[in-house]
Amino acid sequence: MLNSIILSYITFVYFFSFFFYLLMMVMHREIFGRMATVITLAGFAGHTFAVVLRWIESYQMGIGRAPLSNLYESLIFFAWTLILLYLIVEWRTKNRSIGAFVAPMAFFAMAYASYSPGISSRIQPLIPALKSNWLIAHVITCFFGYAAFALAFGLSIMFLLKRLDRPEKKNLFLRIIPETWLLDELSYQMVVIGFLFLTLGILTGSVWAHSAWGAYWQWDPKETWSLITWLVYAALLHSRMVRGWQGKKLAALSIIGFFCVLFTYLGVNYLPGLHSYA
Amino acid sequence: MVQNGPEVRKHPFSLWSAFSSIRLTLFLLILIAITSIFGTLIPQQESAMRVAENLSPTLVRLLDALNLFDMYHSWWFRLIIGALAVNLIVCSLDRFPSSLKRFRSSPKTDREKPFENLPPERSFALKQAFEPVSDAVGDLLRSKFRKVERKEKEKAAFFFVEKGRFTHFGVYLVHFSVLLILLGGIAGSLFGFQAFVNIPEGEGVDKVTLRKSRVAKPLPFSVRCDKFTVEFYPNGTPKEYRSDLVFVANGEVAFQGPLRVNHPVTFQGITFYQSTYGTIPGNKVRLSLKTRDNGRNAVVEAEVNKPFPLPGQEGEAAVTAIRSDFMRMGPAVHLEIRPASGEETQIWLFKNHAMIEQRFPGIFETFPKLNPASFKPYTFFLESMDSRHYTGLQVSRDPGVPLVWAGFVIIIIGLFITFFLSHRMIWVRVSRVEDGATIDLAGMSSKNEVGLEREMDKLMVQVRNKLDKP
Repeated sequence: MLNSIILSYITFVYFFSFFFYLLMMVMHREIFGRMATVITLAGFAGHTFAVVLRWIESYQMGIGRAPLSNLYESLIFFAWTLILLYLIVEWRTKNRSIGAFVAPMAFFAMAYASYSPGISSRIQPLIPALKSNWLIAHVITCFFGYAAFALAFGLSIMFLLKRLDRPEKKNLFLRIIPETWLLDELSYQMVVIGFLFLTLGILTGSVWAHSAWGAYWQWDPKETWSLITWLVYAALLHSRMVRGWQGKKLAALSIIGFFCVLFTYLGVNYLPGLHSYA
Repeated sequence: MVQNGPEVRKHPFSLWSAFSSIRLTLFLLILIAITSIFGTLIPQQESAMRVAENLSPTLVRLLDALNLFDMYHSWWFRLIIGALAVNLIVCSLDRFPSSLKRFRSSPKTDREKPFENLPPERSFALKQAFEPVSDAVGDLLRSKFRKVERKEKEKAAFFFVEKGRFTHFGVYLVHFSVLLILLGGIAGSLFGFQAFVNIPEGEGVDKVTLRKSRVAKPLPFSVRCDKFTVEFYPNGTPKEYRSDLVFVANGEVAFQGPLRVNHPVTFQGITFYQSTYGTIPGNKVRLSLKTRDNGRNAVVEAEVNKPFPLPGQEGEAAVTAIRSDFMRMGPAVHLEIRPASGEETQIWLFKNHAMIEQRFPGIFETFPKLNPASFKPYTFFLESMDSRHYTGLQVSRDPGVPLVWAGFVIIIIGLFITFFLSHRMIWVRVSRVEDGATIDLAGMSSKNEVGLEREMDKLMVQVRNKLDKP
């Protein structure tokens, strides 16, 4: 299918944007950063086109469904939301160094989708349980949540790196990273967005489960892990909003939170449960 | 919003102060997260049985003693959630009065304090008369805010506007919604039930089996499945499961309609969900009858409990029971042969006759009740059995669901208010000076200072524009 061929090429576009963001940080040249942004924008445009094309192609095949319903499509959509959110952050903060930490995540997601032998890129029709209007709402909210948490993760890593920076060291790579207070604030904002979307994702999933299986909560491993993730970020938000925690502790919690996200998304597939299809 | 000053505790070491601690909240949140992991690694409930067979008895006993095979319903897991609920209630009650105070506080319109240490970009001078300037500022504010307070003083006019006073309560909405959801869960497990039932095509049931206790629960009506259909895509994956259900109450058909996955049907407060399906023997079988001399050979289509005459007019026979698996030897039917005169003969006919003979040589000769040649001169063979579908339904009643749904709506509203809205207060001072007027802007926000600055920047520009072009 044309869409998956385009998407497999987009994988490398994101690799190049990672490469140029990194080059900008190492060489300290603005021009590489601008190139990286242009490449990322081009990749995002192609990415969007391919996703829409996949949707159209599914109609041409007589299947006709949103491209949001198996592991391949979810990885593609995850990378898409990640790049979208990143571009918004880059535009708002006017700082490109974050790209060097986000572009590789998008690259890995795309590469895993396109080149992992276990993941089929074919458009398959929906099994009865997935034929629901809740599917789109559930997947979109969950993945916006995941993407925001991924950004928070990248920002937390940057925060920990930036703390190593000393004025006398004259480390170009570290100097270009924004100040720790800005990273802390941005990472917190991303956690807030992620938390709201994860909550929406759990709720839509719950309403859907109620109409599909007759129970809104069954302690299925995916449900449980999404709750674990929610609890970790709830703890993070409380520790910041009420106890005034900042900095290293929050960065550590945000990194732990993202590992929970990864386990909810991918790790759970190795445990038996209801979400075995994605 | 965060008060880091020395707190005066009313009850120094009481239970109240223990439960109003945010440290306890963090501890409980992380404790629930960590304990929940066990239940995702150890199979729960029904699937636990299968796994337990492969574990050492000591380990099984240990896991069972800790309720780890059904940990989410164990007393200790419920205790932790209960503690979190108490913690949440106490924390909310503990902090509510101070939020209420902030909600009720009415800052004076003519406060001078906000204008101290004002950055230069928050004030500008105009060579225009004082009155029209202050009126124009008042008009502009009135077009943007619901309520504008104005206070005249000797040398200046003060304006005070605000929005988002209610946002102090956002966090309580979130906490309240969590309690509503927990309450909905409790209501569901106390007053609701989760059950399942398999209905063979063409049959009806008036009771279902409870999932937890496996006890039969009678329904106040009966439900019949007229037809079950399963459709497949060309590649063989299932496309649709559909049961055509008929609900009969007080002897009358009260409702009928199709039940599909994701499209449950509710009747008299009990909801039915399409869950599984399978096949069971139908009520028609094909038998072949052979005589010793192979002279007569007949094939009979027999329906359950409908006697058919034997070909040689020796009497009649009837299939009285059909089993998909009899004595672990596969499909079988029970045949009663009633000759015109003499004793009745009963035999079980197996479909896998040849295979059973091979595994247990002589079995049929030893047990007359299993011998297809017990009634002379015939030997009976079970050629085939009709099969039909049964539909597997999840049946449940959960009076807690409306509470849970309400909790879902409120939590989203609450989170949105808590994270994205804030209580903003803006003071504007128009001062009379020798050759005109000066305008100063000051503000305060319960959170998101950056957003407040942005709003004040915008307001500043609008004031300028309005006064530049009268």
